[in-house]
Amino acid sequence: MAILEVRNLSKSFDGFDVLKDISFDVEKGQVVSIIGPSGSGKSTLLRCINQFEKADGGSINICGQDMLVKNEKGKTVYAPPKVLHELRMKIGLVFQNFNLFPHMSVLRNITEAPMTVLKQDKKTAEENALRLLKKMGLENKANEYPCNLSGGQQQRVSIARALALSPEVLFFDEPTSALDPELTGEILKVIKSLAEENMTMVIVTHEMSFAHDISDRVIFMDEGYIIENGTPEEVFEHSDNERTKQFLERYHS
Amino acid sequence: MKLKKLLSALMAALCLTAFAGCSGNNAATTEAGGNNTAETDESLNKVLESNKFILGLDATFVPMGYTDENDQIVGFDIDVAQEVCDRLGVELVKQPINWDTKETDLDLGKIDCIWNGLSVSPARAEAMNLSEAYMQNDMIFTVMNDGKYTSSAQLEGKTVAVQNGSTAQEILEGSDIGKKVAVTAIATNVEALQQLELGLVDAVFLDSVVANYLITTTGKNYTILPETVGEQEEYAVGFRKKDCALRDKVQSILSEMKADGKLGEISTKWFGSDITTVK
Amino acid sequence: MTGEEILKVVGILLEYLVPTLKVFGFTLLFSIPLGLVVAMLKMCKFKPISWLTNLYILIMRGTPLMLQIIVVYYAVPYIQIANPDMFSFIDIKDENYMFGAVLVAFVLNYAAYFAEIFRGGIESIPKGQYEAAAALGMTKAQTFFRIILPQVIKRIVPASSNEVITLVKDTSLANVVAYAEITLKAKQQMQNYASLVPLFIAGVFYFAMATILTALFSFIEKKLNYYR
Repeated sequence: MAILEVRNLSKSFDGFDVLKDISFDVEKGQVVSIIGPSGSGKSTLLRCINQFEKADGGSINICGQDMLVKNEKGKTVYAPPKVLHELRMKIGLVFQNFNLFPHMSVLRNITEAPMTVLKQDKKTAEENALRLLKKMGLENKANEYPCNLSGGQQQRVSIARALALSPEVLFFDEPTSALDPELTGEILKVIKSLAEENMTMVIVTHEMSFAHDISDRVIFMDEGYIIENGTPEEVFEHSDNERTKQFLERYHS
Repeated sequence: MKLKKLLSALMAALCLTAFAGCSGNNAATTEAGGNNTAETDESLNKVLESNKFILGLDATFVPMGYTDENDQIVGFDIDVAQEVCDRLGVELVKQPINWDTKETDLDLGKIDCIWNGLSVSPARAEAMNLSEAYMQNDMIFTVMNDGKYTSSAQLEGKTVAVQNGSTAQEILEGSDIGKKVAVTAIATNVEALQQLELGLVDAVFLDSVVANYLITTTGKNYTILPETVGEQEEYAVGFRKKDCALRDKVQSILSEMKADGKLGEISTKWFGSDITTVK
Repeated sequence: MTGEEILKVVGILLEYLVPTLKVFGFTLLFSIPLGLVVAMLKMCKFKPISWLTNLYILIMRGTPLMLQIIVVYYAVPYIQIANPDMFSFIDIKDENYMFGAVLVAFVLNYAAYFAEIFRGGIESIPKGQYEAAAALGMTKAQTFFRIILPQVIKRIVPASSNEVITLVKDTSLANVVAYAEITLKAKQQMQNYASLVPLFIAGVFYFAMATILTALFSFIEKKLNYYR
């Protein structure tokens, strides 16, 4: 079953086309990596699916529900707010800059949304949060404030925070870009362990070897188009597209 | 003064035609000496009905109307107004106001009169319905009552104390006699009189009303020289232009008090003798 | 002035500390929430509202508070005369009218200053905080009150403490309509004793209040320092 179906998605900023005719699927349990040079539209694509940007045309379907669809008159329309809210809850998002809430302890960062949005009771939310922290290897940091954690630890908290709402799919927006190189490993390890549990994930990343190792599918974007969409082997080893090869060469050297 | 300008600007901005009409009507009343009781003048009845006579004062003018050390508003004016209210059978309400905006407070009906050693001036006679002057104030010299000085001419070459920054200082320094004496500015009139007693100065130059009050309250052996310097000042009570009935009633009670000696009694309490000028 | 006289003045001023604190306390109570509303209106995407709010802030910050007190105080009776139906429920001779007018002027003035502080604080919160909250499914109101506002408060404490301490001293401006508070009473006693000492004593009162507030704010700042 497809968790995510994107068809002919387009988006422009001030007349400049950032996304052009984007179509792809994400199946349940799949790990999909999106790679490409900066400015290729990867982040915008993620932000359109997460409702931070309004798409101009095309359709998006999440877990069988239409988020964005062409109506009878051929106009692109969004689902009503209630549906949009439900769909947003099916997607977990991990930011490049973590975006933890600095005034809340690690534990409250994780329990805040389950308690206010899902109306979970405090006990359930905290038990769940501690379980997730343990999984992230941070059970002893529950009462710390984000400012006292390393970047890698903060990013792990933000993954736990996203998981606390039990999303159908987890999106990562360059999760290691803001980290010192020696800290990226701990994040990649966490993502790998999630993949082993069959978590559906979409990862925008610059870590090529990681994308190669972990992904079921790799999407290569350039100048707003999807250039490649295939298995890691197809994209990384057997591509005959000039732009793909050029891009990958830069990363290998 | 700045506040007054602001308020008149405010008034103009609000386009209050009601006011203009009012002052126009009342020009005639003042001309007639305030005896013309208009049929529509409800001012006296209003006071009688509400059982309150609201006296506006800034409560810092010793000894006319001021706040004493127990935070009570007292003074010569207050005693007189209290007696007037007793005779009217109404309650006296002492309402402190900002002296800069007194005309506005009066016009807007926040207070019924301004009664706080209000000195008469053409501008005030135009803006308000003034009572007849009830007291005069002169700028005078006070000396020790030992017969050494009996006329201000004898003060030539002597030392005269004056309250620093006061109108008295301005008047003295601008007068002929002021140029012939050594003027020494002292923080307060009370201290100036103390220096007089100690012989450090030969005379103190100040308001006659204040001098009479200080001589009476201190009980010291001072006396006032007969000559005055500069222009005479007169105190009156200010009412709203249109409030003729109220003004006339208060005026007649004051005359009555003068006649039966009550006014003299109050004056003696504050100033040692009857210095009022009510007829 | 003798020691006994000074004690008497202190006694009177202590009594009038209550009306001073009444203006201070109620101004804070109303101007802070109003300031928050004004800050929101200023950030409103519908331009005319934003412009009107700007004009309001400009007037409030661009004219002396003393004049604003006078305008509010006299506006009601003038309007009553021009249009007897308006404000007919307000009796300007009522004891509480003076306090009410003074309070309205203070609240309107201080709300403008607080609004600018709040706006600065709100705009300094990174966009990522809103996006993180939205991604977690929080509503706009939840995001504002649970995520943004607590962070804003920490950021605006230093600027607000300035305003609050200024407010303590500004309460003295109420004496322009003869509102009976510390400064008016000190001025009256100044004439009574023909001495500047009562005014100096009033100064000591303000200094003491400002010192207490300074200590309070440095305590609050410390309390909020649990995160960076």
